[in-house]
Parts: sequence; structure tokens; C-alpha cells
Amino acid sequence: MAVEKKQKTINRLKAMYPLRAKVNETYLKSIEAIQAGKPAVWGMLNFYYGDPVLKAMDIEVVYPENYGAIAAAMGVAQQYLDRADAEGFPTHLCGYSLTTLGYASRMMKDLNGQIPSEAPLGGMPKPLFLMSSAAICDARYKWFQALGRYMDAPVWPLEAPLPGIKEFSIEDYYDEMVKLGVKHLRDFVTFVEDIVGRKMDWDRLDETTSLMIEVNRVWHEVNELRKASPCPMHSRDFWSAMPAALFLAGDLEDSLKLYQDMYREVKERVDNHVGAIPDEKYRMVFAELPPWHSLGFFDKLAERGWNFVIESVGYHPPIPLDLSNVSDPLERITKFSLQFLVGYYKDARKQNVLGGTTAYPYLKYAREWKCDGALLHPLITCRSASTHLPYVADMLIEKMNVPSLSIEGDIVDLRLFNPEDALAKAEPFEETMEHYKKVRRQEGFDW
Amino acid sequence: MSDKNKGLSKVREIYLNRSQRAKELKAEGKTIMGYPCVYVPLEMLTALDLVPYQTCGDMREPVTEADRALPSSFCPVMRNCLDCALKNKNDFLDGMVTIHSCDPQEKTARVWESYTSYPYFHFIDMPITVRPEALEYFKSQLNDFRKTLETFTGRKLSEDKLESAVKFHNRQRALVRELYELTKPSPPGISGTEIIQVLKALTSLPVVEGNDLLTEVISEVKNRTSGLEKKPARLLIWSSILDNTDILQVFEAKANVVMNESCGGIRAYRSEVNFTADPLEGLADYYLNEITCARTFRQATLGEIRKDYARDLQSRFGYLKGIIREWKINGAIMLLVRYCDPFAFEMPSLKDYLDGIGVPSTYIEYDYTIGAMAPLRTRVEAFLETINQ
Repeated sequence: MAVEKKQKTINRLKAMYPLRAKVNETYLKSIEAIQAGKPAVWGMLNFYYGDPVLKAMDIEVVYPENYGAIAAAMGVAQQYLDRADAEGFPTHLCGYSLTTLGYASRMMKDLNGQIPSEAPLGGMPKPLFLMSSAAICDARYKWFQALGRYMDAPVWPLEAPLPGIKEFSIEDYYDEMVKLGVKHLRDFVTFVEDIVGRKMDWDRLDETTSLMIEVNRVWHEVNELRKASPCPMHSRDFWSAMPAALFLAGDLEDSLKLYQDMYREVKERVDNHVGAIPDEKYRMVFAELPPWHSLGFFDKLAERGWNFVIESVGYHPPIPLDLSNVSDPLERITKFSLQFLVGYYKDARKQNVLGGTTAYPYLKYAREWKCDGALLHPLITCRSASTHLPYVADMLIEKMNVPSLSIEGDIVDLRLFNPEDALAKAEPFEETMEHYKKVRRQEGFDW
Repeated sequence: MSDKNKGLSKVREIYLNRSQRAKELKAEGKTIMGYPCVYVPLEMLTALDLVPYQTCGDMREPVTEADRALPSSFCPVMRNCLDCALKNKNDFLDGMVTIHSCDPQEKTARVWESYTSYPYFHFIDMPITVRPEALEYFKSQLNDFRKTLETFTGRKLSEDKLESAVKFHNRQRALVRELYELTKPSPPGISGTEIIQVLKALTSLPVVEGNDLLTEVISEVKNRTSGLEKKPARLLIWSSILDNTDILQVFEAKANVVMNESCGGIRAYRSEVNFTADPLEGLADYYLNEITCARTFRQATLGEIRKDYARDLQSRFGYLKGIIREWKINGAIMLLVRYCDPFAFEMPSLKDYLDGIGVPSTYIEYDYTIGAMAPLRTRVEAFLETINQ
């Protein structure tokens, strides 16, 4: 019972529950539809680029990255990891990828394409095709290519330009990125049409795109409200609510309404000075992927007054961009998707923070959300979510006197995250944060 | 041919002190431009009279400084390269050109730019596919590179000069292929270890000097009176990068390494840049299409809606078949630098391909440190025993 009580330290948003329920319900409906014979695609998180196309074409998408996390949390990942190892894939590869490769090997070699009985949440059925993405890391397109050993599903690798922060200001640079994006997406539409044997409904794509942009705008505004002190919404609510915007899970009109409800609730909390935890002593930024299997860890930190006010740039919606004058939905999609990355570039250039497209946002977060410290979570087999963290820590302390605490973990090997050890580091880190709070004030920072 | 200033003797000197010539040229007023990856189009530097200098890692150098910027579970080659830079080992450079050939290259480039202060620093983005729109985008990236080079040097990059540079670099590619022809006989005319020294020397010299050196080496090797020791195994090494003689010597203790298909070997020289009306088009096509690094997503037919694994393997690894046949290779080592994801994902499929054409292979991993040599030796010897039986 004592544990139960502690888990309620974080004052969860009421509006989060129907949003999360919607995401879960959508997932289960999707599985049911697939089991009833509706074609499914395996997709990588693609930052609003390929998803609207598939949504407009009414194609179900399952995300092996997410499934890897589920398999790990439900304790079935290890057999797939062992299998991938036996098949010759190096063990230091992305844990999600190894889980999928082991799963595919089992499904195709042992079961002739049938979903393994031990697979949690209905499993992942054999896909019609694979939609990989060059965004974020090499693994996310090489992994789907490697699946060719087990299944004859064709692969479409979505291009994702990644400009340098300084180079981005070269004349015509952005236009060339857009040109690539639109042409590539147009060819992707043709590819999908050819496979499913149906034509794109362009009006529907237009509508889907507009809704996607609006859902993410509202979601962005919700997170802006978290700049208030005390912060009204904890990272746990962010992580619970984000799939509807990031993966376009569920009906977008429903999602829009639910995010609007969430905005109202968070605004009300701001107006009434209600925080996400009872006594906010330390405002924290979290990077990058959370320990999905040990989220209760944040309740323990909440008891110490740690309020996680902002987090995980890779899951945040793009900074809003007015695309109302862009009539071609493919161009709107492209520009919206690019904005996820380049929305920060102008500011990063001004601050001369050139090191890493995902590094600068953390400086912005620390400054604007007035953070006292950063909790970094480097992951052994997810280099893309870890590589920039030493640089982030360096920049935070150098430019803003915000210290970082690094707690190692992994995306599938749950043993690597030790909450007790992490909690033992919390108290001395509070002294560090107190010290730097004084330093910031001496140096003229306003928090 | 024992002249220290010629041929293989000169190569060995340069290999042991790679930056010496660059420093001399710098003292003479030349501008030295660093680059970490073979995907950087050197022709554009040469055309503007800039001296390209490949910034390499040093397996004998423990990484200390790079720890503050990159995690330990990260490409050890790039960690090592950055470490050397942070220790001011490349302080003679006037600039750096980096490229998004893979995640570690991209991520290290950002950090590198932040922690150093070269007068010039440029990052080229690179698509992952060879689709027409990707090629067009890459060409625009090269055009942007041209713009920043012109601003930096204050000189125009004319088409004539670019064409001339392409000729010199194509000549170098042809000479390297000629050098590799000399490994075809049994025993080979030149060892894999010597070739690594030659190729690493080339990456620290202006192209014309490199071509002269190659010409001398080829002539010297052709005139050798005593050949190398013939060993039962004729090996292909397939790797992201193999640029260190310590490793090659482990392989060559009991085998002849006749082909090094890595970015420290023949990979950047296997083909040539085509002359096109717009020279940037030929460069974009060569660098995106022709270099056979695992970072590029290849498939049997662009946009295919049906997949066939055999055709897929052929599109990714088919070029190896001709090499294996012509060089009479009887064993392949798939050498992985730890944490190199693009190559790591390829290992089981490449093994499938090699099995399919009847070539024994083994997968060996190392961490780009000198400490990795002992276990490497054990693995190599075990594999060679299976070939020699």
C-alpha cells in the first residue's frame, strides 16, 4: 500500500487519460483490423513525413521500435535478442532492431509467417511493405534492409535531409531540401498506390495534413504552458500523451479535441498555480528516451521535489510554422517535417551552438523552462539518443551553469538501469544544483 | 631502388610521419584542408589549389580528450580522429570538410566544429538512396560546398579547373587499380601491408605528388626480383575502414591479403568520375553511386514493389564476385569496427552472399585499438586453419 501511495506523488492530468486510452484503443483496433486481414505496414518513426500518406490511404502501421519497447517491458525480448545474436547480428546493435530481427526470424523461419504465440499485444503480422527512415540514425534504414533475410516485403527508405546549422543559411539551401522532400514523397505515394492497388485520395491527404499540423500546434502550445512556475505538467504526462501527435495514432479530429481539452486543463492549473508535484524544488529537463520499464522512478524523484518540466526533444512537436499559404499537401508535409529539425536552427546559429541538431534544443529548454538541472539517460545500444549527451552536458554548464546527472540504461536490456543507484546520486546532485543556482544568480541569470 | 626519397621507402617514411609534407606545404604558403571520410569530393579542393589531407585515427593513441564530447559506445575511429584533433595534432589545418556519410561522421562533425576553430569548416549533407531526386539534392549540396569554398579562397571554381582536377584524381584511381593488379599473381607482387602504407601516404599528399609516388611504387614493384612468400590463403578483407599496418600484419602472418575492400583500401578507387556537362553532376554521381560503402541503401530495382532476396544480395554485394574471381580469393574476412552500424547490419547478409558463391568467410570485430590485436590474431588463425585444411 505504501508503494501505491508513493506512485501518486505526481499530479497526473485528467485530460491525459482519455488521450492515452484513445492511443491504446487505436492500437488494439489496428491489431484487430490486421488480424481480420487488413494490410499492415511496418514503419519507423518518421517525423510526420510518411505517416500522413499512409493515414490518408487508410493503411495500418505498426512501429517495431515501439514494439521493441513493449517486448522488453513484458519480458519477451530476450529470446528475440538471443535469436538475432545466433543469426550473426552483433550484440551492440540497436536493441529494438535486434528484437525485431529475432522476432522476424522466429515468425518466418519457425512459424511460416504466423505470429508467435508468445508475442505480446497481438504481435506484429507480416507486413505488406516496410517504411524505413533516414531520420535520426543509420540503424533505422539498415535494420529494415536487413529484414530482407526473413521476409520478401519491399522497403521504402524515406530520405531525411540533415543540414548543418551554419550551412542551412546558404541561399537556396532550404528550397533544395523541400524539392527533395516533395519529389521523394510523390514517388512514395506512387509506390504505395502500386502496392495496395488503390489511388491516393488527395482531398483526404489535404485534410489529414491540415489536422496533423493543427494537432501538433495545440500540443506545442500545451508544452509552452509548462514554462510556468510551478510547472503544471510532468514529463510522465508528456510521454503518455505524445503518441497521438507523434505517430498520428487514432482519429485526428478526436485527437485535436483531446489535446484542446488538455490545453484547457493545463491553463487552468497555470492560472491557479497548481504544480504537477506538491513541492517543486528543482525544475528538471530530461534527455532523451525515458526508462519505459521503470517510469515509477520519476515518482521517487517527485517526492524529493524534482519536477520534470520538459524532455525528449525527439518526441516534441515542431515549432509552429504558418503553412496556410501552401496548397500542395506534399509540400506542406515536407515543410512541416523539416521544421521538426530546422525550427531550431536560426536560434542555434545566433547562439553559436553548432554541435548537434538535437543538442541546441536542450539549451533553449533550460533557458526558457528555467531548469535547475538535466537528467541524461545515455543508452548502451541506442547511440543516436546518446551521442549528443556529453556535448549537451558541456554546453549546459558552460553557457548556462546548469549541471547534468547522467544515469546509464538501455532500451531493451532492463538490467542496465539501476533506479536505486540513480536515486543514491540524487541527493549529492541536489547540492550541485543548489550551488549552480547561486552561480546563475551571481552571473545575472534570472533563475 | 633503395633511394629513401623514392617509391616504397618514401611511402614508409610518409606513413610513419603523415603530416610532415602537409606542414612543409603549409610553410610554403599552401592551404591545407582536412577531411575525415572518402566521400568528400577532393576534386573540388584540388581545383582551388587547396591540399586535401585525410585526418585519420591513431590506433596507438589512447582516447582521452574526446571523452568529454563523445560517449565510449561510439565509433572508435571517429572518437580517435576527434581525439587527435583535440590534442592539436592537426593544428596545421586551415579548414575541415565533413560529410554525412554515416551517423558517426555527422555527429562527430558537429562536435568537431564546436570544439575547434579552423578558419573554414563545412558540412556536406548526403542522402541515403541513389534515387534521382537524392542525386539532385546531393548535387545541390556540392554546389553549396563550392560556394563556401569560393568565399573562403576568394577564387572562382571554374569548370576548366574542376575538369582538370577530375583528370588528376581519376588518374590516381587508375594507378591504384594498377597497383592492385600486382596482387593478382601468386605470390602477390606487393603485400596488403605495403598497399595500406601507399594508400595512406596518398591521403596526405597533393594529388599530383601522389600520382608520381604511385608511378614510382608500381615501377619498383614490377621490377622486384624476389617475390613475397606465397601463402595458402588469399584473402579479401571487407570492412568500413582498414588503414593500419598493425592489423594487416596480423592477417599477413599466415595469409596473403590480396584485396582490402574498405575505405582504407580500394573502395575509393574502384571506379572513376565521368565527365559531364556540369562537372558537379559527374562528381555527385560518382560519390553517391560508385563508392560501395554499406551506408548507402541499395536495392535491385529502385522503388521495387516486390522483393527477392537473391537479387537484393546481388545489388548490394554483387561487385565482390568479380573481385573474388579475378584475384582468386579463397577466404573473406568481414572485419567490423565496433559500433559501426551500417556494416554491422550487413554481416549476416554478406555471409549469405559469400556462402552462395562458395567463399568461406568469418566475421571479426575489433575496437580500433592496439590492444585488440591479440584476440584478433586468435580469431584470424582459427579461420585460416579452416581454409588451409
